Amino acid sequence: MADKKVNIKIDGKDYQVEQGLSILKACQAAGIIIPTICYLEGISEEAACSICVVEVKNAKTLMRSCVTKVTEGMEIMTNTERVRKARKMNLELLLAGHPKDCFVCDRNQTCELRRIAYEMGIREVRFPKTVKLEMEIDSSSPSILRDPNKCILCRRCISVCEKVQSVSAIDTAKRGKLSKVTTFMDRGLGNVVCVNCGQCLLVCPTGALVENNEIAGVWKALADPKKFVVVETAPAVRASIGEEFGMAPGNLVTGKMAASLRRLGFDRVFDTQFSADLTIMEEGHELIDRIKNKGVLPLITSCSPGWIKFAEHFYPKALAHVSSCKSPQQMFGAVAKTYYAQKFNLDPRNVTVVSIMPCVAKKFEAKRPEMDSAFEFWKDKMSLKESEHFPDVDFVLTTREAARMIKEAGIDFVNLSDENFDEPLGISTGAAVIFGATGGVMEAALRTAYEVLTGKTLEKIDFEAVRGLQGIKTAEVDIDGMKVKVAVANSLSNARVLLEEVQAGKSPYAFIEIMTCPGGCIGGGGQPIPTDTAVRQKRMEAIYREDKNKPLRKSHQNPAVAELYKEFLGSPLGEKSHHLLHTHYHERAMV
Amino acid sequence: MSVAQSQLPREKELDKVILKFQDKPGLLLGILEEIQNLNPQKYLPIEVLEYVSQKTDIPLSRIYSVVTFYAFFNLKPQGKHSIIICRGTACHTRRSKNLLEYLKTMLNLQEDESQEGEKLFLTTADNKFTLRTVACFGQCALAPVVEIDGKIYSHMTENKLKEIVKRVAAGRKL
Repeated sequence: MADKKVNIKIDGKDYQVEQGLSILKACQAAGIIIPTICYLEGISEEAACSICVVEVKNAKTLMRSCVTKVTEGMEIMTNTERVRKARKMNLELLLAGHPKDCFVCDRNQTCELRRIAYEMGIREVRFPKTVKLEMEIDSSSPSILRDPNKCILCRRCISVCEKVQSVSAIDTAKRGKLSKVTTFMDRGLGNVVCVNCGQCLLVCPTGALVENNEIAGVWKALADPKKFVVVETAPAVRASIGEEFGMAPGNLVTGKMAASLRRLGFDRVFDTQFSADLTIMEEGHELIDRIKNKGVLPLITSCSPGWIKFAEHFYPKALAHVSSCKSPQQMFGAVAKTYYAQKFNLDPRNVTVVSIMPCVAKKFEAKRPEMDSAFEFWKDKMSLKESEHFPDVDFVLTTREAARMIKEAGIDFVNLSDENFDEPLGISTGAAVIFGATGGVMEAALRTAYEVLTGKTLEKIDFEAVRGLQGIKTAEVDIDGMKVKVAVANSLSNARVLLEEVQAGKSPYAFIEIMTCPGGCIGGGGQPIPTDTAVRQKRMEAIYREDKNKPLRKSHQNPAVAELYKEFLGSPLGEKSHHLLHTHYHERAMV
Repeated sequence: MSVAQSQLPREKELDKVILKFQDKPGLLLGILEEIQNLNPQKYLPIEVLEYVSQKTDIPLSRIYSVVTFYAFFNLKPQGKHSIIICRGTACHTRRSKNLLEYLKTMLNLQEDESQEGEKLFLTTADNKFTLRTVACFGQCALAPVVEIDGKIYSHMTENKLKEIVKRVAAGRKL
């Protein structure tokens, strides 16, 4: 279709815009702000909220600008008495059924409904709540808490779950005033195909969807003198947590983050990037082993717990392709409570591991029953009773939760001087930083696999082809004459494309990286709100900046990881690694 | 329950229905309607919904959405006979509420308080009758109207209702 132009008038001014454009987009291009709630560019056009109405000359009713297309000669008015009144009334009706307890709401500072109510000049609540029914809060998921009473039925969560993630764990049910967003048979998010990615929670305009808050447990551990509390921070957090304190997206705040966590009272401030390097050592050798010994290929990365649960539900036949490596979060927990505890004479029962993640699926991952390798390691050696059972990772905080704790403690984050991580579990390379962006694990693995396989130094270590926000990226890598095809997918609807090939036995690739969230961890469900494409781009740039600035940029150069192998693990894929750093998956029903 | 289980549509029958609607627009509604009609108790058991989802690749959340949106679909077994009282405006002004209360007493049915706000759905202990309400049949000129086993009765009174229900219960033709 040729991009035909049409002539329209917006608020009395003439514009020439592309045919087929929505009124909303035409207005945005003209610099006019139209308030929206249910609209989400490219994902959700449900026309559910009726806040975006405008007046169109000769039209009988007001039009929803998000779904009405411009036509030749259209005269649009966005700021008439009629428009303002209608928008206000529609908003007031939405507000009528919404709880008024904003000051105890998780989304207090980031609620779109609250912001729009303010911007549209709502200063009194005229309509009482009509639906008296108190709906049950869904706390079945270890990752996500859903309060249907706060839901305004905008359907953004449903759209993102269906279109971006192709999971469709939720939909509306019932009709009229009983309408609600729910799971099949109201079973709850913890009992259905939900993969805990938390993208729904990023797009929720209210506090209806929030992470399962673990802050109280962390405060308690920090206050307990018996506990040796260590914290690990995921790569993507340093590229985003500044936003929670008013800093612009893309600010890299590694040093401030380490300093603030130390002030919170953690006994050691460590880095998940240490175990990201460790992951590359294990996964890189797994890849090399499978290539050399004609094992199951393609090998698929296993760092992203949303993807793992997705595979267990939707692609059980592809599970043999998934790397047996635990994620960096879990490798860290297992190492901290075995190697580190042993080295520094700590009772593993008193070591508390807190992780700070851009992710809500990590909460689920930490609670998987098989994630207790440290307990298994010590059980016989220390004659531990089952009642003393402890997980490898005790608490998982999102970027947002960590920021809330820092605020609660009165720490002036923005003006803190940079500090370093503690040694040895705080030492990392540039290869570990880029785990935070889509394509990063692939690039990190290639840097190491190349040098291990060839014994030569990799000259050009930037694999540009696997970087960027595109949904699927592919590349062919020349490893000393051997051509290795690789692919990278972010978001699960994109992952499906690669997985269909894998399941059909037609995948041309040797190695595939899958990240659950759009953009990878920088766009994770635990990240600051808002997280949109522009913000993701900025965070991604910060990640690659950090990589560039690191003196060491290949995982196998990490001296602390080398020491860990020398003193404790032996060699990659060795017996100790097998017990502590690798795991297994199981098929889950499609419920 | 063992009787009910054995009355569930068999996989073969389900497959036939699913195949019939394959690739047609709005296939889910057609499939669910036909499958519910195959069930003597006129409802959609969870296992059947799971089977349909598996065969059609339609997510369970979507199926639940459709089943709970349309009043036609049932998630619980229906009594042998169905009585639907219209509670629309016209029928309401012609005292359809009295008919409802009368039937509840006559059939010894009690409303579950926890189901407040949900659509009324009551089945007698002997599974003979299911009593439901509907928002409007579109037969307002004949108010109040009651549907019994698919047939609409107009200008209903308590006495007429009593007679019809007795005849239905005795298995006599109407």
